Order: sequence, then C-alpha cells, then structure tokens
Amino acid sequence: MNQVVLDPTAELNPANRAVLPRLNQLGGKTIGLLDINKPRGDKLLDRLETLLNNEGAQVRRYNKPTMTRVAPLEVKQAIASECDAVIEALAD
Amino acid sequence: MDLESRGIPGGYILTEEFREADLAQARALGFSANKVFVEHPIQDRTDAEMALIAERAFAEVVAMIVTPE
Amino acid sequence: MTEQHDSYLVFLKRDCPTCVLVEPALRELESAGKILQVWSQDDPEFPGSLTAVGDDRELEQSYHWQVETVPTVIRLRGDKEVERTEGWDRAAWLNLFGTQQLAEDLPGFRPGCGSLSVQPGVAEELALRYGTSSLQARRIEIAELEDPLEACYARGWSDGLPVVPPTELRVIRMLAGTHREPAEIVGLIPPDLQPCSIEKIAINAVMAGCKPEYLPVVIAAVEAALIDEFCMHGLLATTWFSSPMIIVNGPITKAIGMNSGGNALGQGNRANATIGRALQLVIRNVGGGKPGGVDRATLGNPGKYTFCFAEDESEQRWQSVAQQRGFESQQSTVTLFAADGVQGIADQKSREPESLCRSLAASLLGVGHRKFAMLSDAFIVLCPEHLRVFTNAGWSKQQVLDRLFELTTRSGAELINGVDGIAEGMPEFVKDMQLAKFKPNGLNIVCAGGTAGLFSAIVPGWLASGDMGSSPVTKEIV
Repeated sequence: MNQVVLDPTAELNPANRAVLPRLNQLGGKTIGLLDINKPRGDKLLDRLETLLNNEGAQVRRYNKPTMTRVAPLEVKQAIASECDAVIEALAD
Repeated sequence: MDLESRGIPGGYILTEEFREADLAQARALGFSANKVFVEHPIQDRTDAEMALIAERAFAEVVAMIVTPE
Repeated sequence: MTEQHDSYLVFLKRDCPTCVLVEPALRELESAGKILQVWSQDDPEFPGSLTAVGDDRELEQSYHWQVETVPTVIRLRGDKEVERTEGWDRAAWLNLFGTQQLAEDLPGFRPGCGSLSVQPGVAEELALRYGTSSLQARRIEIAELEDPLEACYARGWSDGLPVVPPTELRVIRMLAGTHREPAEIVGLIPPDLQPCSIEKIAINAVMAGCKPEYLPVVIAAVEAALIDEFCMHGLLATTWFSSPMIIVNGPITKAIGMNSGGNALGQGNRANATIGRALQLVIRNVGGGKPGGVDRATLGNPGKYTFCFAEDESEQRWQSVAQQRGFESQQSTVTLFAADGVQGIADQKSREPESLCRSLAASLLGVGHRKFAMLSDAFIVLCPEHLRVFTNAGWSKQQVLDRLFELTTRSGAELINGVDGIAEGMPEFVKDMQLAKFKPNGLNIVCAGGTAGLFSAIVPGWLASGDMGSSPVTKEIV
C-alpha cells in the first residue's frame, strides 16, 4: 500500500498537487518550446512558434537529445532561467 | 518534467495514442500536468498537415499556460 | 457469581515464567469443564497441553481486550467482560473461576509480565491497525513513484527545508505528548483565519521534527501567537523583518533538553530548532501565511525558519522573563516577541554596571534607525559574563532597565527630519520634547549564552510595537 500522510493544512485546496498559477497574458512573455525529438514534432513546434509570435510572445527553442530520456538538467535549468512558461511536444 | 517545481508553468502536447500511458503515469506520480492531445499518427504527415494540427491545437495550447485575468 | 455458562479469555506468552507456571492450573480448569479461550502472544504452540490456543502474535485480541499484563484472565458472560485478574494469584483465580481448589503445588502468588501489546512503540501501531482512529485530518496518499519528502515539497508544505512526512503513526505518537484532545480547537490561525486543532498542530510538529514531549511547548507557542496583543496577522503581513521569537522558561526547558547556553541562538539543539519551526509551519500550513502571499517581507530574516531558545535561569538573584511577567519559577512558559534578528554587542572592558549600561545603550540607539524613538521594542540577550557585572554589583534587572531607559532618552531636536543631514527622522513637533528610545516596558532582558565571551546581543523588534502593532505575550505551558 502506498504511504499515507495527514494533511497539515486547513484543507481549503484539493488534495491533489495543484499546478502553478498560469500567466495572465501571452504578450511580452517568453515561451519555451521543448522539442523532445520525436519525428515530425519539430514541424508542429515551428507552426506554434509563428502563432505565439503573432500573439506578441517571444519563443525560445530547446531540444531534448533523445526522446526516450528525460530532459537533461542543463536544458531544464536553461528553461527555468530564460522562460515564463514552457510547452513540450510531442510528448510520449 | 519537473519544470513546475522550478516555478515555470507549462504543459505538453501528446498524441491520442498515449492517453492511457499518460493516465497511468499521472497516477503513479500523483500529479497530472496540463496537456493537449492531438491526433495520431503523425510520423507520416506532410509539413502542411503538421501545421494544420498545430493551428487546431493552438487555442488549447495557449489555455495551458495562460489564464486571462 | 460465577455461572456454569461463563467463558474465559486467557492471555499468555511463553516468554513469561508466570505464564509457564500457570499451565497446570489452566489444564486443571479445562479438565473440570471450564470454557477457556487461550491467546498466545508469542508462540501458538504454547501452552501445548491445552486445546483451545489461539495465535495472537498480531496482538489484535490483546489490543482489543486492552491487556497490559500476562497472564490476564477475563471472565465473560456472553461476549461481555465481567471481571479480570492479572498475574497468578490463587485466591483471585479461585474466585474468578468459582472453584474451591486449584493447582495446590503452585505458590500462592507470582506477578505477571508486561503484555507485548503495551511495549514501547507497539501500542501506537496497534491503535493505528485495530483502533478506530479519531484523527480527522484528510488522508493524502503518496503516489507509488513519489518520494514522500518530495511529495511534501510539491504540495507546498515546506519552509524550504525537508519536512518529516506526517504519517498517521507519527502523528498518533506525537499526540501522546499532550493530554489535550486532538479535536480541540485552539483558535483561528491568520492570515486565512482557519481553525487550528491540536491535531493540526501535532501534524506540523511532526513535520518540523519535534519529539512528542515538545508538543506542549508548541501548543503554548501557537496559543500565544493567537493572543490579540501579539498581532500575528499584521506581523505576518508586514514588509518589516519581524517574526515570532520564542523564549521558553521554567522546568520544561531542562526536561526536554533545550539549549540556553553556548550557541543558544544558533543551530544544533533539536528542541530549540524544531519548536520554533513547528510554529512557523502551523502559520504557513494552517494559516496559509506564505512568502509571496500574505507574507510581504522585504528581506525577512533567518529566524523565520525557527527562532526559539531557553532562558538561562541559573542566576537566582535575577528575575527571569517569565517572573518579570508575573509567573512563578516553577511554571513553564513561552514568551513570544516579534523579532528581527540578532545584532551583536561587544564590551570586554566594562567592569562596572554604569559603564556596561552605557555600552548597551549606545548600541540600543541603533535599533530601527538611530533617529527613531518610541517605535521598535527590543530584547537584550545578556550573556553570563555581562550578567555577572550587574549581579556582582547587586543590580537588579529593573535597575538595569531603568538606567538603560534614561541613557537612551534624547532631546527631540537631535532626532527630527533632516538633522545631521539625514532626511529620515522624527516629525518636527517633537523637537522640544525629551524622547525615550523605547516605550515604557518596550525594552526587555533575557539571559542566555555560553560562559566564555563578553558578547551580548540585541534582538530588535517590529517598528510597529505596542498598541500600534505587537507586544510580547506569555502563555503557560500546560
């Protein structure tokens, strides 16, 4: 059986882990696009980049060297220091 | 991806093919990130078809990272 | 009176000589037609000469019947207990079984042994396994691939350092540290003003790394933080540095091994470190007070992880903080102060109280801003060697405080805006007044520190003191 812990909070939020607050707009933000190197994924990201640029967002592209492994630490750290939000594609 | 724990909101795009696998992983990790599903397969698509998939998914992709005030 | 259809539960373990001793008596009773159900705690083959021996190695029956000693014999009518006896006492057994004669070869009396179900650490596990838990907190399942420590971080429960995952077993053990009911609500924790039960305090105390014996101190600290005069809500929300500092007085400090000596304000003592942290975690988790949220501190201070120590009360001629605040030396208390951090004062030359007071006063003027008056309160943490300068000269704490009050009183003209080429300062209208640096009772002294080093400390407080903000509060630990 999985470990069970007791909630230390006032239980105002759902028990599941919450996602972070989202951005309030795209304009002026830097969005990271992480290509996990799946065939044809780059074409999808190319188009997303154009669409994001049209909305006033800057885009930075990152690559995961191989799709079967998790992103290397340097890539994660680069995204965390350079971007306001990130999209990973095409994931599996 | 642990970018949420680094304070970067995000999400991922994956094909319908992986819906089940994704659910299982979310259960094991106790956390379900934002995601958008697109049609499968994609390996044999033309560039134009890939662009069209991106356009159709765009509104959902933006919704993963932006909550307008 | 014993009736024919009564039955008997017998709890034994092979490891107990008295249990081995009573085997012939039990055999005799069984032959005489008594209905016995024997439960063996350690060896289901024991006692071999009896027919109905059950395996209670899991201790479920022993827990259910609250057995504390083996042998224990319980007389049942139907499934209800009528009476019980512990150990071997022929007279008691004769009475219980309603018989005239029993195991005449045995001595008349032998005490029993401790039941395995009440061994240290086992009782709580059994309570968890077989009891009906009264704990009300929501259960959160850690997923299979999650590390419990990481899971606590991911849910936002940590102050940045690892927390101990609050499993139900750990929380039950923690709650054994207090006689208070887990469901009792001690108050509403700011900023979200959420009700805080003893159970929630215990959960956060587990996470902070407390031992159960620290829990009464943590509870008192939470209760003190909720006293109106302490103004916890405002303290949390201010951009200023302050956060609760906890001074513990009284016999409990020695009982739980708190540090009032060398490095008392520093790291390394579990009680000091975890009690202060537990209060912070309660505010964070129950109250929802987090940096970036309601906590708007510009810089904060390292004491916001934990800031808790014991007062050194070894100098009998000198009043402790608790005594000064109206408590007896035999009472254990917590005193909370809205504190910024620690500023050192060196004086290795003063051998007379007057000189040392002047040293201390000179440093005290810098609290908040040198040109401020009547704003922050402050504590002096007086080291033993400085304390001795005063006690050897026969000065009481109040005399020192009175002298410091005089020495830190200045003319308003020195302090107003613009004087000394400094725009900051007091408003123009004070220029003809004499202004005390501290409000009456705004300056306090607590004793702590190692026996070597003529170094005391100032712990300045929130700019908003007294009625404007926070005053020190004291609560008895019960």
